[in-house]
Amino acid sequence: MADRGREYLILADEDLISLVEAGDAEAFATLYDRHSRAAFSLAYRMMGERQASEDLTQDAFLKVWRGASSYRSERGSVRTWILSIVHNRGIDQLRSQASRRRTQDRVEATAPRSQPSEAFAETWRNSQRDQVREALNTLPSEQLKILELAYFSGYTHVEISELLRLPLGTVKGRMRLGLKKIRDYFESRDAAVPR
Amino acid sequence: MSEINHERFEDLKDAYVLGALPEDERRSFEDYLVAHPERQAEIDELSAVAGLLAFSPQEQEPSPELRNRVMGVVEAEADPRLVRRPSVLARVGDYLSVRNLAFGAAALLVIGLLLWNVLLQDQVQDLQGQVENAQGRVQDLQGELKDAQAQQSQTIKLKGSWAEQGAIAEVASMQKNQNILVARNMPSVPEDKTCQIWVIKGDVPKSSGLFQPDGNGTATPITNSIRKADAIAVTVERAGGSKKPTSDPVLLAKL
Repeated sequence: MADRGREYLILADEDLISLVEAGDAEAFATLYDRHSRAAFSLAYRMMGERQASEDLTQDAFLKVWRGASSYRSERGSVRTWILSIVHNRGIDQLRSQASRRRTQDRVEATAPRSQPSEAFAETWRNSQRDQVREALNTLPSEQLKILELAYFSGYTHVEISELLRLPLGTVKGRMRLGLKKIRDYFESRDAAVPR
Repeated sequence: MSEINHERFEDLKDAYVLGALPEDERRSFEDYLVAHPERQAEIDELSAVAGLLAFSPQEQEPSPELRNRVMGVVEAEADPRLVRRPSVLARVGDYLSVRNLAFGAAALLVIGLLLWNVLLQDQVQDLQGQVENAQGRVQDLQGELKDAQAQQSQTIKLKGSWAEQGAIAEVASMQKNQNILVARNMPSVPEDKTCQIWVIKGDVPKSSGLFQPDGNGTATPITNSIRKADAIAVTVERAGGSKKPTSDPVLLAKL
C-alpha cells in the first residue's frame, strides 16, 4: 500500500480526482496531503479557532471524497475546487450561528485602519501567495475590508452595509472595484489569474 | 425579492462570487445562470479572482488526528468500491519493475565484461596467442552489449536553462513505449511547487508525470507515449500539477 502511495505522488490532481471518483482511498490520501494545509488555513481564517476549523476541513474533504464526480476541470483547478468547498461550507456555518466572532468583527470593522488586514502582512511562503499578497496590497483598505468581511466572515452585502454604515450601492461598488483591481494586477503583468 | 434580469445580474455578480448574497437572492441568481448558460464563463472567471482570497490566509498546520479521522471515514467507505480500482497503479508498477530489471541486467553485463578484461590482460603477458582469441571474444561481447543497450536503453538528453546550470536530465527508453525521465543535479523548487513532465504533440502538451527534484537524483516514469510526440518538456508548476504549462520549460528535448 505504501509503495502505491509513493507512486501516486507523480500523478496530477486531475488524475487523482478520477481515481477518487472510482473509490480509491489512497488517491484521496494523496490529495489530502497536498491540499489539507491550504484548506485548513482558509478554514482557520474563517472560523477563528482550531476545533471548528478542523470540523470544517473534515466536512469539506469528505464532500470531496463523496462528490468527486462533481469536479469540473473547466471551472478551475482541483485545489481551487477544494478551497471553494471549504469556503461555501464555512459561509453556511458562519451564517447558521450567532457567533461571538462576528460580533468581534463588528467592533473591529468600525475601528479606523491605516493598514490592510494583519493576515496580509505575513511573510508568505510561496510565489503564488506572494503574487496574491501583492495584488491584495494594491487595494485601498476600505475595499479590502469589504472583500474580507464578505469572503472570510460570511456577511452578506446588506449586512456589510449595516455594519459599516455605508449605502448598499457603495458596498457593491467597492466589491466590484476590489475584484477588478486584483484582476488588473495580473493582467498588467501578462499573467493569467491562477485557477 | 425582485426577479433577476440582465441589469440586476450585473449588479449582483460581484457579491455572488464573494459569497455575499443572502440565500434567496443567491438562489434566484443561480436560477438565472441556469437559464443563461452563456454567462457562466464570465462568472467562472470572476470566481477565480475572488477565489484568490482563499490563498491569502497565514498558513496553519492541521493536526495529524484530523488526517486520521478523515482517512478513517474514507477507508471505511472505500472497501466495497476498491474492487473497481483502475489499473493505473499496475501500469506504474510495471514501469518501475521494468526499469529495475533493465538496470540490473545492464549492470551485470558491464561488470562481467570488466572482469573479462582484467582476466585477459593478465594472460597477455604469458599467453600471447590466447590473448588474441580472448580479445576477439571481448570484442564480440562488447558488440553484444552495444546491441543489447541499443535495444533496451536509448536515451534522449534534455537541454534548457536548468541544463545550463548543471542539471543532467535524460529520457531513457527501457522498452517500447515505456520511458523514464532520469534527472540529477537539479535545482530545488519551493515546497508548493513541483516539476511537471509534458509530452508535446503539435501544440498540445499532455501532462505526463510529476516529480520533486532531489539532491540524490530522481527517476520518474513518463505516463504518456513519446513515440509520435514532437517534444518532451519539464516546467515548474504549482503543487499538484497544472492542466497546461504555466511557465517556460526549464528542460526540453525535441524528438
